[in-house]
Amino acid sequence: MVPRNHSRSFIFVALLGLAAGCGDDVAHYRVPKEAAAPPEAAAVPGGGPMAGGAGPTMPVGDVPPPPRPAGGALAWTLPTGWTDSRGGGGMRYATLRSPVAGKVDVSVTVLSGEAGGELANVNRWRNQIGLPPLDAAGLAAARKPVRAKVGAVSLYDFTSEGDRRSRVVAGFAMVAGNTWFVKMSGDEGPVGQARPDFVRIVESLRLEE
Amino acid sequence: MKNRAASALWGAVTSLKLTIGCLAALMVLVVACTLAQVKLGTWGAVEVYMRSWLVWTELPGTRLKLPIFPGGALVGLVLLVNLIAAQGKRLELSWKKSGLWISHAGLVLLVAGEFVSGVFQRETQLAVEEGQTVNYVEAPRELELAVIDTTDPAHDDVFSVPATTLARRGRVALPGTPVVLNVRGYHRNAQLTNRGPQDPPALADAGIGAGVAVRELPPVSRDEEMDTSAALVEPIAGGRSYGTWLVSNALGAPQTFQHEGRTYQLVMRHRREYLPYAVTLKDFSHDVYAGTNIPKNFSSLVRITNPAHAEARDVLIYMNQPLRYEGKAFYQSSFGKNDTLSILQVVENPGWLLPYVSTVLVMLGLGIHFAITLRRSMRRRQALPAEA
Repeated sequence: MVPRNHSRSFIFVALLGLAAGCGDDVAHYRVPKEAAAPPEAAAVPGGGPMAGGAGPTMPVGDVPPPPRPAGGALAWTLPTGWTDSRGGGGMRYATLRSPVAGKVDVSVTVLSGEAGGELANVNRWRNQIGLPPLDAAGLAAARKPVRAKVGAVSLYDFTSEGDRRSRVVAGFAMVAGNTWFVKMSGDEGPVGQARPDFVRIVESLRLEE
Repeated sequence: MKNRAASALWGAVTSLKLTIGCLAALMVLVVACTLAQVKLGTWGAVEVYMRSWLVWTELPGTRLKLPIFPGGALVGLVLLVNLIAAQGKRLELSWKKSGLWISHAGLVLLVAGEFVSGVFQRETQLAVEEGQTVNYVEAPRELELAVIDTTDPAHDDVFSVPATTLARRGRVALPGTPVVLNVRGYHRNAQLTNRGPQDPPALADAGIGAGVAVRELPPVSRDEEMDTSAALVEPIAGGRSYGTWLVSNALGAPQTFQHEGRTYQLVMRHRREYLPYAVTLKDFSHDVYAGTNIPKNFSSLVRITNPAHAEARDVLIYMNQPLRYEGKAFYQSSFGKNDTLSILQVVENPGWLLPYVSTVLVMLGLGIHFAITLRRSMRRRQALPAEA
């Protein structure tokens, strides 16, 4: 007895190939405006591969500190117990460490130009703690000007909702054509404890000599 | 001559030795795949060993690749053909053999089910915070360049260009718009840093990319890592170039350009699939055993809102108790942001029932075969004293 349906196997294999090759076209969706941009699952602690895979893992140890930006770099004065180091991975200019116990991350980042604009970046910070985006009027209401040695710095302070809250305190400054972000984020309690020192750091911002 | 060759081929296809060989090859692949996960990660190893036709290796010191072993897909296909052919050849079509027929059919279905899963299964995730409503899932290992026309105050028009299309470079037209993207460069994995005086001139001349240095890196393979992809795209509309923009999933805020009064955002992000329904997280619970941090239970109370079916109902998703809805299964996978963010793994597999059906068939077949054999044996025993 000789099989007569060899062709079926080839059809099956061909279908597999076709299915594997699909899905490369430009897709178009019309969707309602988002109330909030997607949460960044990269910040998920204790997540499995699926959770961790939701955001890029920037290499930390072997990334050289970014160079001094054209137009001059910022310097700051550290309060007692605080330390800092250049770099810290990816686009970070510096990483600051507070003596407060608990989850607190403080970073200094500089990008040339407007870096997407103040509103987009503030909404990105709000999104990171699950808050809806602001419009231009909301941005103006949330902005707290801080007089620093380098000039005016816009300070923002947002706390998430829920039983266990996250908090972001961040300063935004345009200096010599570059946009500087000084940002502290983490659990509400530790961030609140570190906030007075953080504001003093923002007030001490100056052009490096 | 022709008949003899066909007969030899038929004998080989229906050979029990081929069955044993396939099973042995599968065992080798499972061991090799398990060991390879150390270097390649789970997904990489499965792609290389199990979901490939051939396993390739690179000759040391060269870029020449040679196949060294049949891949899981090829072994599975051969085993499938072998099982079907052997069943047709060896098993007589009679009630006596009905149990074996059913068991073999179950095995065939099991192998076929893996093919269906391998080709058609899609795994995505849905990350939603308490109080938030989400109408899309994201593929955690695939990226897209989303060009979003945000002009309309009520809705956004999202044009999704897969990273695989960006990798081919060249021109990509956005359907229904005058915008054509000229993809001038693509790195699957790259390091982005602020550009210094020693860095070569930036290839991007618009947006924040003008101040960013991009250095290509080898793709990551570990499960917990994700490539930082970067592309250089030049939007062209109405014969005008809007400059070359650097887009990357490492850049947070979207970048925008305007053409004839319409505003377009450029953002590289995880590939999204929009759903015809919405999921709202009402409450996430993370229970631990008293006095410890050992997790006891994770659960998400979600509200499904589907306007097409006039449906709005609450569902509790917890460990090993997924929500199955509209062809997708939502499993409780992870959490974050101080227990206010729930991450659901979303699996869409049109063949998800096949392993259950095949297991039932195998058990049923073996049961029937056992019953038939037992009945025959008992009849023989009953017949013995009469013969004596």
